[in-house]
Amino acid sequence: MKRLLLTEPRPSGSVPRLCLVALAVTSVAPGQPAATPKSSALIDLTGYWVSVVSEDWRWRMVTPAKGDYASIPINLAAEKLADAWDPAKDEAAGEQCRSYGAPAIMRVPGRIHITWRDDRTLQVDTDAGRQTRLFHFDDWKAPAGPPAWQGDSMAQWEIPRAATAAAGSEAGPKFGDLKVVTTHLRPGYLRKNGVPYSGQTILTEYWDISTERYLSGTHKNEQWLTITTVVHDPVYLQQEWITSLNFKKESDGSKWDPEPCSSRW
Amino acid sequence: MNYKTARFQVARVLLISIGLSIAAPAWAEVDLSGEWADKYHEDWPERLPGPDIGDYIGLPLNASARSKADSWESSVQTLPERQCIPHPRPYSLRGPADLHIWPEPDPVTGRPLAWKIFGTFGRATQTIWMDGRPHPSKYAPHTFAGFSTGIWEGDMLTIYTTHIKMGYLRRNGVPSSDQATVTEHWVRHGDILTVTTVVEDPVYLTEPLVHSDNWRLDLHLQRFATPCEPVVEVARKPGAVPHYLPGTNPFLNEVSTTYNLPLEAVRGGAETMYPEYRKKLKDKYVAPAKCIRYCCGWINLLGPDSVTGKLECDGSEAKAPGEAKAP
Repeated sequence: MKRLLLTEPRPSGSVPRLCLVALAVTSVAPGQPAATPKSSALIDLTGYWVSVVSEDWRWRMVTPAKGDYASIPINLAAEKLADAWDPAKDEAAGEQCRSYGAPAIMRVPGRIHITWRDDRTLQVDTDAGRQTRLFHFDDWKAPAGPPAWQGDSMAQWEIPRAATAAAGSEAGPKFGDLKVVTTHLRPGYLRKNGVPYSGQTILTEYWDISTERYLSGTHKNEQWLTITTVVHDPVYLQQEWITSLNFKKESDGSKWDPEPCSSRW
Repeated sequence: MNYKTARFQVARVLLISIGLSIAAPAWAEVDLSGEWADKYHEDWPERLPGPDIGDYIGLPLNASARSKADSWESSVQTLPERQCIPHPRPYSLRGPADLHIWPEPDPVTGRPLAWKIFGTFGRATQTIWMDGRPHPSKYAPHTFAGFSTGIWEGDMLTIYTTHIKMGYLRRNGVPSSDQATVTEHWVRHGDILTVTTVVEDPVYLTEPLVHSDNWRLDLHLQRFATPCEPVVEVARKPGAVPHYLPGTNPFLNEVSTTYNLPLEAVRGGAETMYPEYRKKLKDKYVAPAKCIRYCCGWINLLGPDSVTGKLECDGSEAKAPGEAKAP
């Protein structure tokens, strides 16, 4: 059965499963506190994760040559802007963080630290560029203000039907993923060498965790995080840019090494 | 039936439906069937035109793997017995792979007995058994697709594959052994499919190789069947196999010089995949003055941008000597 997302049209007569799930998750027994996004989380994203760069290495681990746009479906307007990329100009304007905005930051090699800021807000800190992303659940309303590198992110748990039976209980395995939609972005770069994204960009991410039960030795039961990323930019892309990134769980923050944004490296 | 009775019946049906919905078995949480177009939005130059010779970037290789890859001569693929070799499972989803996926139902229960995945190069169609059968004896024959079993973990299909023939991890001779195993996690988000692949190979890798690839549902997809019929492409003496002896491959520095990368980075290794290595590169790397090949990536293949005009970076494409041949 195809999973029905909240944003997708439903066949007439079908039961909106996620609504049922939401009921199952949020129904409150007498005397029990109301469930929150934190208490009803079916996967645990918290902790330290390290990016493992086995893909797009030449475009992530080093700053690629000017004019290298391989793999990104840019249009001519983007090419013209990127051809004029001048990191010195960005530095002079105090815009060293242009390649650390939400559509790009998870691609920068480094570590992320995920915590619950409160019961309804998940916080993601990056050591690369010292950025902070806030994922807001429920009916959070973005405050008025100028666009920001990390934009405004709305999050929701996507819960599979198999998890509904155990919803709200501590028993059994927990499954699901986190969907995050980010808007209100300050224009920046998808790639360090000036490939642009506009302020009209909509960033959609799906955060999935896997446990590697089939690996051997010290790698057995390693936890990996895969972030599927869809960048929709009607100004600079010919079609959506779809990528996915892999992070490995670390036991602690001993390798956390914050460094500031850089226009050149 | 009076009004109250009718309302009671409707309510009862609704309650039963809700109960069945919540208690439904976990044998097919997501329908993966359909036509899926591969998205080459990462590593396009490696995945479509083909990797450069000696490009082992981002791979956790050991010395044996490097040694074997260094001996690879691209014309080995012109040998009739090698022309039609399918992409082996550790690599097949990284190469060109528009996918056709369908379930094979159990004739009695109707439940998916297996999932079938067609579309990887060389018709190494993969069967994923969902009925809990064990993997065969280690002495059982190996194939390029291998033997695969799957389980649902929520909406994630986790596939474990063994019994894979010796092959490669990259189309430039980086090897995978017949002891390699592959775990895949298939997740569908609306019309986007993401597969995270974990390759473990005790012969050639020092740690698991993890990557993820993406497809988009495409109802108009033209299947690429990759039919293959071996022919004599190059006249050779019987038994001749193109190769380089140790220390004689003249192309191993090419990636390093083309992209100004330290040779040690190009040679791969687990260390090179982590952020700490990036800090080591900081003082060793200077970006090339300009991009000289594959600058537009795949987009130039689609023709002029109908809205804003043709990309100009098309004109900067240039092939370097020794470019790996795409099979």
